[in-house]
Amino acid sequence: MSYPDLPAKGPSGDIVGKPRRNTAATRFYLTNEFGLIALIVLFALAFQFATDGFFSPFNLFSLGRIAAVNIMIGLAMMVVVITGGLNLAVGAIGVCAAMTCGYLIEVVGLPWPIAILSAVALGAMLGFINGWTSVRTGLHSFIITLATMSIFFGVMIFLTRAESYRALPPVFAAFGRMKLLGIFSPLLLVSLMAALFLGYLYNLTAVGREMLAAGAKPEAAEMSGINVGRIFIYCHMLSGALAACAALMLVARNGAAIPSMAGQLGQDWLLIAFLGPVLGGTLLTGGKASVLGTCLGAFLVTMLTSGLLLLQLGDFWIQSFLGLLLLAAVLMDKTRRTFLARRNMA
Amino acid sequence: MASEIAFQATGIEKSFPGVKALKGVSLTLKTHSIHALLGENGAGKSTLIKIITGVHHPDAGRLILEGQEVHFASPREAIAHRVGVVHQERNLIPRFSVAENIHLEQLGASLLKPVDYANLNKQAARWLEALGLDIDPRTPVSRLSVAKMQLVEIAKALSLRSRVLLLDEPTASLTPSETDLLFSFLRKLRDSGASLLFVSHKLEEAQELCDSVTVLRDGSNACESRPMEGLGRQDIVRLMIGRAEGDGGWRKRDTPPGVPPAIELKNVETSLGHANVNLHVRKGEIVGLYGLVGAGRTELAKCILGQFPLTAGTVEIDGKPAKIRSVGEALHIHRVGYVSEDRKGEGLVLMHSVLGNAGITVWRPLSALLGFLTDRLVRHKVTPYIEKLEVKTPSLAQTVANLSGGNQQKISVAKWLAAGVKILLVDEPSVGIDIKTKAYLHDLLRELADNGTAILLITSDMPEMILLADRILVMNDYRLQGQLINDGSYAGMSEGIMNLIHRSEAA
Repeated sequence: MSYPDLPAKGPSGDIVGKPRRNTAATRFYLTNEFGLIALIVLFALAFQFATDGFFSPFNLFSLGRIAAVNIMIGLAMMVVVITGGLNLAVGAIGVCAAMTCGYLIEVVGLPWPIAILSAVALGAMLGFINGWTSVRTGLHSFIITLATMSIFFGVMIFLTRAESYRALPPVFAAFGRMKLLGIFSPLLLVSLMAALFLGYLYNLTAVGREMLAAGAKPEAAEMSGINVGRIFIYCHMLSGALAACAALMLVARNGAAIPSMAGQLGQDWLLIAFLGPVLGGTLLTGGKASVLGTCLGAFLVTMLTSGLLLLQLGDFWIQSFLGLLLLAAVLMDKTRRTFLARRNMA
Repeated sequence: MASEIAFQATGIEKSFPGVKALKGVSLTLKTHSIHALLGENGAGKSTLIKIITGVHHPDAGRLILEGQEVHFASPREAIAHRVGVVHQERNLIPRFSVAENIHLEQLGASLLKPVDYANLNKQAARWLEALGLDIDPRTPVSRLSVAKMQLVEIAKALSLRSRVLLLDEPTASLTPSETDLLFSFLRKLRDSGASLLFVSHKLEEAQELCDSVTVLRDGSNACESRPMEGLGRQDIVRLMIGRAEGDGGWRKRDTPPGVPPAIELKNVETSLGHANVNLHVRKGEIVGLYGLVGAGRTELAKCILGQFPLTAGTVEIDGKPAKIRSVGEALHIHRVGYVSEDRKGEGLVLMHSVLGNAGITVWRPLSALLGFLTDRLVRHKVTPYIEKLEVKTPSLAQTVANLSGGNQQKISVAKWLAAGVKILLVDEPSVGIDIKTKAYLHDLLRELADNGTAILLITSDMPEMILLADRILVMNDYRLQGQLINDGSYAGMSEGIMNLIHRSEAA
């Protein structure tokens, strides 16, 4: 969250505002957001030269479809990371929500909008379980969500007998295949809406500010009149709901709700879930969020994956590469932060 | 006593990004002497100490130890030259035993050789005994009180047999009797030939203990290594702040007896062990709650705020019983605010901006439908208080961690003023802040009371208490011992307070 600089204030000189234009510019060049945009442009050019058809309409469309889901996954993790916690169960919650949606449509016969809303509500409810347990026990959400990841996924496999729901209404698949202006997937719009909502939340609402304050220093927030426990539960519920959205978008892309769509225990989502926020400059210790950064981070990762696949690198190489990227991002961020602290600009 | 120069620092300069912390500071320490290093917050005392002990490297200037110029690349080298330090912050490992902590620097004799614990404990016991500490050296440090930890830290510095020993605010968390004990020990150390540097915010202590003094102001010497003799308190203050201390004396304030209590505690018992607590604070009144460290005063404030449950009795706000379950309820329903003694832990979100901290209490009341709230609105609400308190910050966007202690404290007060509380619990308002800010906060508290705020003032600083309070309640061991009407005379009041405390100890 950033506040615009105030102009010099009053003749009393209490709030002395020296214009620092050059440092403001330097500060912008040192933001994660700028770094990510530069990397995205750089890699896009590199892939354009190195591969066939990186900028083809088909590739851009499929890139956008995947990026949309990855952005949503990144945001689902980010909203909990700002509390200084994490949510290892994003994938498990997502799959549970998607399977619930499929069940409600195919078995119960509910109309699809109601099924979607119910699925998102279930995501929020599972998030509530994570948040409530973590707040009540005082244990770190790492251990709580590690446990619930297995629990949620196990129960889901038991209830569905690991079978997919493939007879979904055609509107799902149609939405997943739809093209705007020939290259954009409308799924990107869904992610954009989620990002705008979060931007609004953190910058323009009381509860969003309370989330950041509680994440930065829970004791101080509590002693300033913020109900930290309740705020943390909200964050987990938001995470669950966003994870459910991500899974429903995946359903639209696949045209079916499949238990294995996020891998065993939903673990396939974890790397991307952390890469987005961390590349984007969200502090793992909490208290600082960057919605734009998370979106750009998730987009960069998607682009790299897609480009490397076009270069016909093996899937395992890409996984290793993404792991390296995560490590590099954390180290870069540390260096950047030290630099800013040295120059007294942080 | 032949006193010769033990250590000399000349023309020390040190810049940090954006600030020149030291601009050519000099200091001379002699053997058989305790030297006071005084100055306001941000004057450069801690920086100088860190340079002398090898934590920082000076940009210019020389360090001379017993006639030889030295360059300490790390704190370890300083220790090897027998320059010891007790830092302001705790540097103990809580789960290690007292003996292990004392000998931490000397444990690793060889990689695989087992540590000789019997010898270790015996050595540690010697140092503890010298300090008059009755602790088993095998006790884990985490089980000690804060004051005892401080003493263990001093024992640790002593065990290095330092020739030059620097003490950065060693008495901050000690009770008067512990302080006396420490002082008599430091004097013994001085007589045996050591050279000590003593940093404190408490001028009375420095005058009592030290024989020479160096005062820093804004990173320069306001006076360099002159004898303490002949310097009065006012002289020192003038050196520290560059002008005389404002009179800021006590004045009698009349609260009409008819005014009903704004907050009243009736027969309160708490889960923390308070029993039979009866007190009230009327509108416009400043009631002091005095006690030694660990008397249960902060704990009582936290119980009032609903952090710990009451087991009996009632809290009444404006004559109506109030059940307060959280600080949020205290603030938004009952208009009760709490300025925490622990600024860094509970008072402020250090990594957030000035605006984010000062506005934290007004977000909820200011927010419109769906919690909608702009920075503009918060800024509008908060700026008058930031200006009124003369917080020195480049902008409202500045990270609070980058401000000085005094300015941080102003912000942690400003946020409650912005919230417009009617009852303010103030816990140790002047811990670690300089004289100027302290006088300023005192004026502010008086002004608040004059305008009708009920203030419960918790402080261990007796002069501060006698300066501000209308009535003084004395707490010891989680019980109220009695009440004194403040008449502003230091001697009479402090004696009365001590009598109340010791009456309970005698009983």
